[in-house]
Amino acid sequence: MAASRALLATVILALLGAPWLASNYQRSLLLAILADVVLAVSWAFFSGPTRYLSLATGAFFGAGAYATAVIGGRLAWPLPVLAGAAVGAAMALLVGLLALRLRGPYFAVFTFGLAELSKHVLIWYETSVTGTVGRLLLAPPSATVLYYTVLALAALAVGTALALRRSRWGYALIGIGEDEERAETLGIDTTRVKVGTFALSAAFMGAVGAAMAPRWTYLDPQVFNPLVSFQTVIMALVGGAATVVGPVAGAVFLGLVSELFLLRFRYVYMLALGLTLIAAVLLFPSGLAGLRRPSARGTEA
Amino acid sequence: MSAALLFDILVTGLITGGIYALVALGLNLQYGLMRVLNVAHGEFVMLGAYATYSLHTDWGANPLLTLLVTGPAAFTAGLVIHRLLYARVLAQAEAREALESRSLLLSFGLLFVLQNAALLIWSADLKGYSYLGTPLRVLGAVFPANRVLAAVVALGLSVGFYVYLQRSLTGKAIRALMDEPEGARLVGVNLTRLHGVCFGLGVAMAAVTGSLISMLFELTPFIGLPYTVTALVVVILGGLGNVVGSLLGALLLGVVETAGVYLVSSDIRLISSYAVLSLILILKPSGIFGR
Repeated sequence: MAASRALLATVILALLGAPWLASNYQRSLLLAILADVVLAVSWAFFSGPTRYLSLATGAFFGAGAYATAVIGGRLAWPLPVLAGAAVGAAMALLVGLLALRLRGPYFAVFTFGLAELSKHVLIWYETSVTGTVGRLLLAPPSATVLYYTVLALAALAVGTALALRRSRWGYALIGIGEDEERAETLGIDTTRVKVGTFALSAAFMGAVGAAMAPRWTYLDPQVFNPLVSFQTVIMALVGGAATVVGPVAGAVFLGLVSELFLLRFRYVYMLALGLTLIAAVLLFPSGLAGLRRPSARGTEA
Repeated sequence: MSAALLFDILVTGLITGGIYALVALGLNLQYGLMRVLNVAHGEFVMLGAYATYSLHTDWGANPLLTLLVTGPAAFTAGLVIHRLLYARVLAQAEAREALESRSLLLSFGLLFVLQNAALLIWSADLKGYSYLGTPLRVLGAVFPANRVLAAVVALGLSVGFYVYLQRSLTGKAIRALMDEPEGARLVGVNLTRLHGVCFGLGVAMAAVTGSLISMLFELTPFIGLPYTVTALVVVILGGLGNVVGSLLGALLLGVVETAGVYLVSSDIRLISSYAVLSLILILKPSGIFGR
């Protein structure tokens, strides 16, 4: 126990001191990994207990990033991040109210379509209404400011996930995942709990999108990338979505692997990612939808 | 709107719809029967297209005759994929929703693997060849011969499959399984074997469609996903496990889409597909022809 506390303290100190301790390259790698941690942890605190497989991560991340690109130059720094969070949450509220009645693969397909739909609507809007194909980001904040922004978001996401687990709200989420009708009968306002948590996780995704946007000086609608959605699911799955440590570990592992291979061997990396996903599903039957203990229910409609 | 334009939209729409019908039928067979939502479906369209492209340009094979190769090869590949991946997941006793989510994730993994394998083999450059580009004149309107041929073959295969379902013993077993899985098992239908056959047939239909469209459009390894989306829209439009619904839904979508492209703009195509999909999912998940 003492050893793990000492380790945790060391990690926290190293993360806080990174802008002075690490090289530029190491710091940007750390930034990317921290962003992945935010995505994986916030995905898992909704999809983990409820078993609603969301593939909307890329849509919320993209919305946050694009929001920064549109309004970024006009607001002082932490405000674009808050705007990104607000845009993500608003989008999730709308989508959640419509789509969270759908169960099983319908919900997954709907959320997957959302990223593609947003991308194509945005491309159409930019080319035919504003006459642009993308946005330049002017006067981005310094690398140190960005680093601490994303670090704070990661700490906040982990803190939220831990707090949720111990709360009545968290038990309600687990109850929804076990048997939604029973949860409803027991007096849980399932719509409020589901949509609220979905929006909360989307707020984190939008915020981290907004915070990461200044890393690219030029943004176009391709930032709505379905790959982000899948990587997030794989991170959480590989680590184990039922815990808080799992998604963090998955994000660190996959973040490092993708840094090593994505740019140099793009196709091989993506192919391996697909194989990893297949292996994760086949080898850890309790990994995804059975995320915690297997349910006692038989097959039913 | 002039009568000539209307006629043009209608025929072009039916040609497009005929091609959609075959892709959608394949997906419906997989999803309607075993609840495997195979989002890698369009990747098999892409692979079929590249197979025909390679057979034609490297070996000089007649594109239409390559169907005799791509179809059976894809069927075998489908059997193997079913045995190695889906049969294992489906054999686990779990709640149905959990199984559906996990087979969906398997399909996404498969999508990544197939698409990037194609990128490694054929690169991201546009590939294509021309075949039967001669114009056909029908009642004053002009249609490329290859499109008409592709649509006729696709529709012929779709209708042929429908007849096969109605007449043959395997076809009857498949229909029994769609209507009443428990009862079908009681009268001695071998579930795992039939699932494998259906998965293989679905993959074969996708690959054959790919062979046909390689005569019409240039190829990249990214052409698969839009076909998956279109097939999903058609399947959900026509109702799960509903063969006739899929046929009608495909023709309807083809005409509506063509009208959108002719009258508004070609950018509207994908947006309208996703919009239609979302609307149906929200308003009537059982499909407009659904039971």
